[in-house]
Amino acid sequence: MAESYAPAAKVRPKAGFDDRLPLGAAWGGRLSLRARLRWAGFLFVLPALLHLLIFKFYPMLEAARLSFFRYDLLTPPVFNGLLNYKAIWENPLFHQSFWVSAKYMFGVSLPEWFLALGLALLLNRRMPGQPLIRLAYFLPIAMSQIVVAMVWKFMYNPLGLVNTLLGFVGIGRTNWLSTEETALPALIAIGVWRGIPLFGVIYLAGLQSIPKEYYEAATIDGAGPWQRFVHVTLPLLMPTILFVMVMSLLSAVKVFLNPLVMTEGGPNGTTRVLPYFIYETGFAYYRMGEAAAASMVLFAFVFGLTLIQLRLLRRGGVE
Amino acid sequence: MRRFLVVLVFMAVAVALAAGSASAQGITWWEHSNPPHNKYSQELVADWNKKNPNAQVQYEFFAMTPYFKKLSAALSTRSAADMFTVIDTLLPGFTTKNVLAPIRPEWLGYKDLDDMKKAFLPGALEGYIHEGKLYAVPPIASVFSLYINKNHFKEAGLDPEKDYPRTWEDIAKVGQKLVKRQGSTITREAFDFAMHSSAWTMWYMEALTRQHGGSILDAAGKKCTANSEAGVKAMEVRSMYARKHKISDPTVSVGTNALPADDVPKGRVSMFISHAGSVAQFGPKVMEHIKVVPFPQVNPAKPVSIVYGFALAVNPHIPEAKQKAVHDLIKHVMANPKEWYDKTSYPFPSADFLQLPGMEVAKKTRYLDVFVGDIKTGVFVTRSPHFIEIADAMHRAMERVVLKGEEPKKSLDQACTDIDRALAKK
Amino acid sequence: MSRKGLLRWGGRLTTALTVAGLGLVLLPYFWMLSSSVKTGSEVFDLPIKWLPEAAQWGNYPDALSRGKFPTYFFNSAVVAFAVMAGNLVFCSMAGYGLSKFRFPWREACFRLILSTMMLPIEIILVPTFLVAREFGLVNNYGGLIVPLAVDAFGIFLMRQYIKDLPDSLIEAARLDGCGEFGIFWRIILPNCKPALGALALLTFRDNWDQFLWPLIVASKDTLKTFPLGLAQMEGIDSAAYHEIMAAAVVGMIPTALVFLLFQRAFVRGIALSGLKE
Repeated sequence: MAESYAPAAKVRPKAGFDDRLPLGAAWGGRLSLRARLRWAGFLFVLPALLHLLIFKFYPMLEAARLSFFRYDLLTPPVFNGLLNYKAIWENPLFHQSFWVSAKYMFGVSLPEWFLALGLALLLNRRMPGQPLIRLAYFLPIAMSQIVVAMVWKFMYNPLGLVNTLLGFVGIGRTNWLSTEETALPALIAIGVWRGIPLFGVIYLAGLQSIPKEYYEAATIDGAGPWQRFVHVTLPLLMPTILFVMVMSLLSAVKVFLNPLVMTEGGPNGTTRVLPYFIYETGFAYYRMGEAAAASMVLFAFVFGLTLIQLRLLRRGGVE
Repeated sequence: MRRFLVVLVFMAVAVALAAGSASAQGITWWEHSNPPHNKYSQELVADWNKKNPNAQVQYEFFAMTPYFKKLSAALSTRSAADMFTVIDTLLPGFTTKNVLAPIRPEWLGYKDLDDMKKAFLPGALEGYIHEGKLYAVPPIASVFSLYINKNHFKEAGLDPEKDYPRTWEDIAKVGQKLVKRQGSTITREAFDFAMHSSAWTMWYMEALTRQHGGSILDAAGKKCTANSEAGVKAMEVRSMYARKHKISDPTVSVGTNALPADDVPKGRVSMFISHAGSVAQFGPKVMEHIKVVPFPQVNPAKPVSIVYGFALAVNPHIPEAKQKAVHDLIKHVMANPKEWYDKTSYPFPSADFLQLPGMEVAKKTRYLDVFVGDIKTGVFVTRSPHFIEIADAMHRAMERVVLKGEEPKKSLDQACTDIDRALAKK
Repeated sequence: MSRKGLLRWGGRLTTALTVAGLGLVLLPYFWMLSSSVKTGSEVFDLPIKWLPEAAQWGNYPDALSRGKFPTYFFNSAVVAFAVMAGNLVFCSMAGYGLSKFRFPWREACFRLILSTMMLPIEIILVPTFLVAREFGLVNNYGGLIVPLAVDAFGIFLMRQYIKDLPDSLIEAARLDGCGEFGIFWRIILPNCKPALGALALLTFRDNWDQFLWPLIVASKDTLKTFPLGLAQMEGIDSAAYHEIMAAAVVGMIPTALVFLLFQRAFVRGIALSGLKE
């Protein structure tokens, strides 16, 4: 059973075909088919691209520009060269925040990659009350972020739910959010609690697109559930898996509401993720230029990471 | 489903185009969300609108924490309201950058600034003056005092009227009798400091450091002096209840308490420092067994306490005529000190506040004389445009000492490194 | 035990574990729900009080009367729906263009689009506000909706999903003389139901929860969204948490409803029969 049951990526016909094929005059007769298709593709992307250029990319360029200025929000910016970058390099709080963010990112994403898939596989099975069970599992994402912070803060109280439950298993009472060693893992747990349903939804969508026929064919050939998973599900799910891997890192890197509300970046800065550092430095300390510089560093790191992921998975036949 | 989508898109576009932007009529007033006083502000606005149909006031309030971010963003894009409420600690951030219009005492009915100062409690306006000009007018003067639970005192065989603590050492002594433990866990704290924000930490540390004869920043505000001898002693006091005397729960922190002031009504703490507005927030039922006494001191002969407040500021980008209208609004808001106090339970900083008719009752039942007494000996926290950064550094230092047991001098040295680095930037 | 028997027990065990896992997942919810009918002082009682002494159903009307909650709900609903619609249409188009067509700079476009997700929103708040102001989108619904109408998340999602749709579908339609947009509308979209369902649900949820952007771009009380209304209920150091929980429970209903609505999209197995490979 070495081959996969999915139509192999390499054997897919090319998108454009024989120029000589006659076609309806959808786009006028002048352009060759290949050119027509090129234009069509571009036009499909254009509206979204324009929107993002105006409302996201241009502000990002502004932020990049500001990273070379001293800007306190209230008075006009003053050119500063690379001083902002020097300032954050010399700021131990920046370095601390960078590592906190890195730990948080990977601490949240890695479990999400696997557990979300597990959840989706689980919920894909037919079971009684399926819509309701699915709804129940997806409820963590229905909760407003502020409420999540409030509820979990209370649950992590030394006399709260988490310690009570752990007490049943014999684990002693920990002061989760006030101890430097446990505060970040506690927040990571919340991130995972919310991330699994979110990416579970996406995996579920991906699973739905795999036609029953492939599974049936594999079963007829005698493949057991594990083999079906490896040879049918996994290959066909690859684009979705890539999506989840990239997106889980990207969304984890932007999180900062929970540390803000639950621990204010403490204790002693052990939960101050980089977006929190940026928000504080820009809006509370009135050093927008430095905040912009820190953002650029974050951006470079994340962009690099994403490119690596895209390249790695390209070799697996995804791109 | 697709048709549904198309309809939705068209609807969205139609709605987006139809709703025009806000027309700038009348006066806009922004405040932060603070349930006790927002309601009264709204009443004042309704009253004004009745009397001034041609200059309607539009009043908006926003959640506290993001409010100042929104204000900064709005000031930077010249889209802020005509009048807005600012907390005194954040005022230097604005005044040093000239984003507030100076208040004209003449437009408020005074001869000049000195004349205006006489109408207020001594020192009440100091927190809002920068380089000789007044930048905001405070309708409240809030102060921190000590709330004690009379029942707990009586239970422990103490007389709440006579045995209440006057100094920080007193708190430790009395606290030994009030604390309740179960094994090594504290089930009822005798006393605790609120841990839930760096601003509160700053208020406490400022008071403690000043009481010991020092200050957090030097007089020019250019260098950190929090790690001086006075500062170290202050930090020792701050941490001794949890660490040395064990009458405070060392696990309490930002992360554990959603509502630190909730501990008082619930009886989880016997003594707690809070501000004047708590009287109204606790409610008369709780206040029956609570007594308010003056802020604890190091040296009762030289009392120092901490005051803070919110004040009304004027947008500098609006035309003169509108600024005058805003001053009229300020006059209207400040017109009735007694009403302010009755409805919000924050003391009003006018000079004759205590002598107003009807205040006798308040003195007896709502501890007004205690609060005003503390206001009279009160200082505002250090003025600096870097207030938040300083507060955060002090808060981290406090966390290291209280939660981790680090040595106060070491922690404060670290804090001063952080603070000096911030002060060095423009 | 026979193999079949083992599988059956494995299935039952899995179902049992699923339901047990449910319990853990739902505990925070249960606390939230029960807190919403407690009195203010019961909410943070420690050790935890699971059930209130007497259910205070009055919390709900009380909470919703603080501030103009019906308005905030309406605003959040309008924003969430409109942004969801915008994303569904424009992201699926862009995803299609990026996955089934070849044009110069295609991959560069894709990377550019991805890069717009890599900066935290706080740092682009002020520049975005300035751009919105240029277009007259301040302090009105347009400002709440338009800048959010397209998000790279949706584009990425749709691109990955549409990639996997067989090209033969599209070619067959072209051979039949179908116009490009017609192909998109009649062939691609209907085959994307699961992805569209996922995108709709997640976009709706994200935008129902919008806090920072509405705070900056709108000042009128009548334009506030639900999270802003919720945050307002907290004072400096006191809050009516029982009422906040009540409001929060009500706030969850729209997202839950949308989920149930789009459940049908997660129906197993897109029938691709009748297609020659």
